[in-house]
Amino acid sequence: MLMVSMEMSQFPILTTILLSTIIPLLVILFIPDDRPQLVKQVSLLFSGIGVVLCLWLYVNFDVQKGGLQFVERYLWVKSLGIYYFNGIDGINAPMMLLTAIVLFTGVLTMWNLEKRVKEFFALTFLLVAGVYGVFISMDLFFMFVWYDVSLFPMYPLIAIWGGTRKEYGAMKLTLYLLAGSILILPAIIYLWVQGGATTFDLFELQRIGFDLTTQKIAFVMLYFGFGVLAGVWPFHTWSPVGHVAAPTAVSMIHAGVLMKLGAYGIIRLGMTLCPEGLHYWSELMALLATIGIVYGAFVGLAQTNLKYVVGYSSVSHMGIVGLGLATMTVDGINGAVFQMFSHGIMTALFFSAIGYIYDRTHTIYMPDLGGLSKTMPVASAFFIIAAFCGVGVPCMASFWAELLVFISAVKTYPVRGTLAVFGLVVSALFMLRVVQTTFYGDRNEKWAHIPDVTLVLATPRIILIGVLVFFGLFPRLILDVIQSAVVPFVSSF
Amino acid sequence: MPMMKMLLFSPEMFYLAMAAVFFGLSLQRKVNARSSYVIAMALASAGLLVAVMSVKLEGMLFFDSYRVDFFSQVFKVLLALGTFLVIFVCDELKGVEESRHPEFYLLLSVCTVGMMMLVSAVELLTVYISLELSSYSLYLLVPMRRSPERNIEAAVKYFMIGACASALMIFGLSYLFGVTHSTYIVDIVKVLPQVISQPAAIIGLILTLSGFFFKQALFPFHSWAPDVYEGSANQVTVYIATASKMAAAAMVIRFIGFSGGESVFLKNTLVTLCVLSMTFGNLVAIIQKDVKRLLAYSSIAHAGYMLMGILSMTERGYASAIFYAAAYLVMNFACFMVILKISSDGRNLKIKELAGLHNRSPLLAMTLMLGLFGLAGIPPTVGFTGKFYVFAAAMEQGYLWLVIMGMVNATISLYYYLIVIKAAYLLEPVEEFPAIPVDSRYRVMSMALVVVMVYLGMFPDKFISLAEAAARSLL
Repeated sequence: MLMVSMEMSQFPILTTILLSTIIPLLVILFIPDDRPQLVKQVSLLFSGIGVVLCLWLYVNFDVQKGGLQFVERYLWVKSLGIYYFNGIDGINAPMMLLTAIVLFTGVLTMWNLEKRVKEFFALTFLLVAGVYGVFISMDLFFMFVWYDVSLFPMYPLIAIWGGTRKEYGAMKLTLYLLAGSILILPAIIYLWVQGGATTFDLFELQRIGFDLTTQKIAFVMLYFGFGVLAGVWPFHTWSPVGHVAAPTAVSMIHAGVLMKLGAYGIIRLGMTLCPEGLHYWSELMALLATIGIVYGAFVGLAQTNLKYVVGYSSVSHMGIVGLGLATMTVDGINGAVFQMFSHGIMTALFFSAIGYIYDRTHTIYMPDLGGLSKTMPVASAFFIIAAFCGVGVPCMASFWAELLVFISAVKTYPVRGTLAVFGLVVSALFMLRVVQTTFYGDRNEKWAHIPDVTLVLATPRIILIGVLVFFGLFPRLILDVIQSAVVPFVSSF
Repeated sequence: MPMMKMLLFSPEMFYLAMAAVFFGLSLQRKVNARSSYVIAMALASAGLLVAVMSVKLEGMLFFDSYRVDFFSQVFKVLLALGTFLVIFVCDELKGVEESRHPEFYLLLSVCTVGMMMLVSAVELLTVYISLELSSYSLYLLVPMRRSPERNIEAAVKYFMIGACASALMIFGLSYLFGVTHSTYIVDIVKVLPQVISQPAAIIGLILTLSGFFFKQALFPFHSWAPDVYEGSANQVTVYIATASKMAAAAMVIRFIGFSGGESVFLKNTLVTLCVLSMTFGNLVAIIQKDVKRLLAYSSIAHAGYMLMGILSMTERGYASAIFYAAAYLVMNFACFMVILKISSDGRNLKIKELAGLHNRSPLLAMTLMLGLFGLAGIPPTVGFTGKFYVFAAAMEQGYLWLVIMGMVNATISLYYYLIVIKAAYLLEPVEEFPAIPVDSRYRVMSMALVVVMVYLGMFPDKFISLAEAAARSLL
């Protein structure tokens, strides 16, 4: 992004998208307690508006022009140089679409919620407001504010509506993630001071250009700070525990979108402001990412709980994102961002499918479920498709993402790249094992009475599968967008 | 024109008059609690108005020993606001004998006068006298509690430790006088930066500061805080936790401002105190069961955060401390107001008694949650903006590790704040408690506090400019 083309758009579309989560939040608070159905309808309406707006944004993003578009920029706090500065480029455009889709399907998945409905949807919208905010902000202060806003609703969401060991999981997750900000906030302020203590504007700071020492210090702080949220090994342990404890929609949003915030933070702050720092630390990044890929696959092999399986596969898949970023090549970063998108959709599908099964059978213990596909063929199919996507079967979005990352990884880091590919083989093995024990095998009479999915209840999962297959068949539609930001980005290294 | 000059003194005069009114009322044989509350409320509102109106005044009084500037006037507004808020929650003053209510208000007004004089005093003896005036009122307010449980212990502890701190302070003042040959701060400021490397000067300054650190409950001058918070009547605790902290913060800012920022030893001492105070306060708070004790330990930690801004010794640093102090006043009051409302009979509250609060009163539960999130420094509350500002000021002076320590502490503190929030939102009560009646006054106050906490957090621009103007008038 050597030359950032900026123009103020006429209509503040990005603020409107933010408002599409803040307005329902306020509206829901004023709906009486005895009208849960109304709360759900309002949620569905506004999350649908979000999808429409983000889709419009994505389609209208000018790939030829690239750079930063739909810019909104106002001075916020004069004496510190804080700006309300939003914009869209090729990296956050797919992320916005991902967030909107996951929120919409998440609301649909929670359609049968009965416990404290109002608060659940209000907190979900607050969380998503934070996520949108992080993605669109181009000001360091606001990025951090939205980042924290997206984290703390997780605590009540898991602790109130969660399942297994919910209070432990909620506290562990919240403290871990906020421990990440122990490094992020000082790093942000440190960069601000090194840049003359006059501006938090990302691009002004980028133009200043920091010296090597500053970049080294700041990058490693940002990498580990955001890395906690991105599930970088060895800071991933909150993730499986948190996923198991969380209710379905929260797992979807959390694994689907929130973990991406971590990787996005590394790209947007770490790599944009400290390219030299990235050079210096890339070896370590590649190493930790490879360990994550292999470790996640092997630990996943030993799990008997469906949610733990998906939790560890997330660690493995987010490792792929980290590996792609560490290559510092156009293909690698393209693949990493694409992987963020496809992993988001895929995990949402995983958790949505598991949530459906759990609601009916009240267990996610794999041996208990054995032979489920004989009684619930459609519900099982959703999970199996997600598993295929996770393994990287062609025609699915993940295939392209993983292919790009591994090609460039093997080029840049031959040993680690090869190890990572080996990890992928193990993860294929464990996914197939999960599918086999859970869905095939002898028919389990215990679940014979359970009816299969109706079309209405299947809607969210069908949408998610549709997105995965669509971008699997037409990967250029997303890669061109990503590339418009990544090419100038890499050439600036 | 002496009359015009006395206008500068109008907030102090007003609270002195308020004290006189309650002195008269306390002489009556028969006391009507309701009417004294109404009078106090009216006078406190008027006092706040007077303080706000005199915010632009500037000038010197009493042979130049008393300086009215924007810095002092901002803190007078904060003090008046604190007093107003405390009196606001005195409608159910169950912790104090009804016959003693006028005396309670009398001491409250006298204490406020003392603190207002303190923030304007620019001469060492005036400083000392103002400080003692406010301290003695508080020494009397603490044992006023009706229940004989722990109030005497708290009062004795407060008095003994306070007396020690005063002794240290006057000892330090004598050193300052010895080194600089003046009790006027204007003269001291000229001399002190040149002699600050001398042991006598630095010890004098640190001992003087310890008097204010005691008020602020900064480690290692904190040991009174948990017992006093627990032992005094709830309203007195609120006053100590909010208004009296403002005066102490103002004085620490003023005295550290004198040193000129040259002494490495002073800086290192302050950094050490800051880290110890934050860490100690937060770690001990984790194991507390009583809400007031928990907030006492959290106040020790917050004194540390405030010091972080002050020890950067720049205009931005002082401004950030002023902003943080104001934010702390609002957030802390929000938490205390909810506690007061829940324990309407004036006893202390255990954390587990908060169980089911979200059913008993959703509004109070939300106010408490936002107040606690503010104290923990979670955006978009004012607590986050304050912490951010303080950290920015410290980082500007190169204190990277100090800022990281501050963030570590913020995360530790989140743990115990979450325990309280969990009690209010998640735990189901053992026995069914009735809903808490929240009348319209409290409804409006809760809403106002919530709006202020979020508004100041999201749109801090104006208030940061104000804090900067106050800091500029100081230097």
